[in-house]
Amino acid sequence: MNIPLRPQDIEVFTEAITHYFNASTGEKASVRSAYLLERGGPVIWNDFNGLIEISGDYHGSVCFSAPRALLSHVLLKMGESVFTDERHGDIVGEIANTLSGRARRHFGEGLGISPPRLLEYPSSGIEAMAHSLPYAIPLRWHGYEANLVVHLEAC
Amino acid sequence: MRLNQRPLSMMIVDDSTVIRNRIARLVSNPQLPLIRIAGLAANGEVALQMARETRPDLITMDLTMPNMDGEACIEEIARFLPDAQILVVSALSDKATALRAILKGAHGFLHKPFTDEELLESLVELIA
Repeated sequence: MNIPLRPQDIEVFTEAITHYFNASTGEKASVRSAYLLERGGPVIWNDFNGLIEISGDYHGSVCFSAPRALLSHVLLKMGESVFTDERHGDIVGEIANTLSGRARRHFGEGLGISPPRLLEYPSSGIEAMAHSLPYAIPLRWHGYEANLVVHLEAC
Repeated sequence: MRLNQRPLSMMIVDDSTVIRNRIARLVSNPQLPLIRIAGLAANGEVALQMARETRPDLITMDLTMPNMDGEACIEEIARFLPDAQILVVSALSDKATALRAILKGAHGFLHKPFTDEELLESLVELIA
């Protein structure tokens, strides 16, 4: 039987977002309350969507979805001088990977994490991976809106 | 680690171009001894081949990568380059993963996301 996430499980991802922007850019992100993403609900996907597939004691996915402008700003903060689509895809995947990896502090090594891949049509990509509804965690950084979508169940 | 007149050579292994570039930029910091970048690799398979060819003194190693992951790569490199100092730079934040990487031959572990200062401190400790 698959067990849906508890609120304290989701809190781990909220903390990971806060920590990521502090450490990587030196600037805080404002993270709002997580909510269940109903099928047919508002479209939250952005220009770039980096997906991590989860395996092991859990299954599902973690997807970081952000507009190009947010990612360009993060790249700039990291000292990048190249702003191609490839570089934006690289950083959106790296953020998804870093947020998922930090969650292993809470879930342990049973949270298997794949290398990131880019999704062009995210809603069809994540629905197949877990039966429960995904959580969306909205954030704002430097005036840009982005979302972390956590679609995860314990096996 | 042997410190002599020649610059230390360093290989950077990470599947993110942005992270490889960031680490490469930071190693030119004057807090560190002169370091020459021996190569950049996007996965463990490429890193293994590059390590055989360039025999780097220092390696930064990601863990979650396609083809061959960082743990398997560390284990292999530690066999034929036992003096290479390996710093794991990974998002995987559980203690068991860090411990396993150290047992396989890594000498340090830096969690992503890292600040510039944290990377420099880790490299200074690695070289000392």
